[in-house]
Amino acid sequence: MLSAGKALKVSIYLSEGSKHHGVPTYSSILDFLFYRGVSGATVLKGIAGFGADHHMHSASIVEISDHLPLKIEFIESREKVSELLGKLEELAGTGMIEVQETTLAKPAQISKPKTATPPAHVKMEGKAKMMRIYIGEADRWKDKPLYNALVEAMRANDIAGVTVYRGILGYGAHRRMHKDKALHLSHDCSIMLSAVDTEDKLRSFLPLVDQMVEEGLVVFSDVDIIKYSYRALGVDQSEPQSGSAAV
Amino acid sequence: MMKDQFQARMLRIHFGEGDKWQGKPLHEAIVAKCMELGMAGATVYRGIEGYGASTRIHHASHWTFSKDAPIMLTIIDSEEQIEKLIPHLDAMVEEGLIAMSHVEVIRYSRSPEKA
Repeated sequence: MLSAGKALKVSIYLSEGSKHHGVPTYSSILDFLFYRGVSGATVLKGIAGFGADHHMHSASIVEISDHLPLKIEFIESREKVSELLGKLEELAGTGMIEVQETTLAKPAQISKPKTATPPAHVKMEGKAKMMRIYIGEADRWKDKPLYNALVEAMRANDIAGVTVYRGILGYGAHRRMHKDKALHLSHDCSIMLSAVDTEDKLRSFLPLVDQMVEEGLVVFSDVDIIKYSYRALGVDQSEPQSGSAAV
Repeated sequence: MMKDQFQARMLRIHFGEGDKWQGKPLHEAIVAKCMELGMAGATVYRGIEGYGASTRIHHASHWTFSKDAPIMLTIIDSEEQIEKLIPHLDAMVEEGLIAMSHVEVIRYSRSPEKA
């Protein structure tokens, strides 16, 4: 948060039609400022103007010009501005950037104060295993789809998490697909379940996989995990946050 | 039911859904090439959002890029087989990324034929 006092005001002048990797430059810059934690930024649209090329650009009623001037403004501390300027110059392309000293008389306040500050999330890093299970969409276990049963079984066995993916094309373990449906989008798509947990936990789950998977592939690989969690191990004292604790 | 366990390589190829090879979608061409070379299997996944080397956002629901969702193709096979495939990929993938990792595989099969 900015506090009252000395600060810098940055203005970036662009043309409305300018693009950066296929998206409007102003939205790339706005995203950059947003995700780099700038306190606030505004995009202003000019109604007429000219720039380095000395072409007069104006909005007429008959045509919608995409060359109108745009100006992005934000106010930040000197340190923050110097941290951002390099990348901004790159993003602005042919546009102009102006920095001026300013004095902040009254910083903006967040309009709706948060009821409770969310507990800081915890970052955990370490070695783990990734287990991928390749099966067919039509495979069943007892009365339900096999992928469904596997997810439930993993959940019951405290595997940290699992995601099911459906392939859009493929062939493999299933001989029937290999033989006749190889290049068609079939109703028996390839399904992949991907789970990450400690090697011990995944290995202890394997006997269940043995029982449930008749035909398929299980693939283990080493992964480095970086996990962000609101619930640090053992210090789970906060009440559930409404929706904000999604991991 | 047969169960066997071995070490293998996993190849993941990332590119765009709009990429072509000789007029045909690149992912279909690669899967066809894999079959031709007798690779054990190949699966194509379509991402719902992402960005890559070109730093263009691929977003499946955005109409302008709807034909350019990120595609990931996964192949698991022995090192020799993977080595056989790589020169073909060099020719076919103009812009994309290939990631290779060592994996441990457990295979379940109904019939005890063909290693």
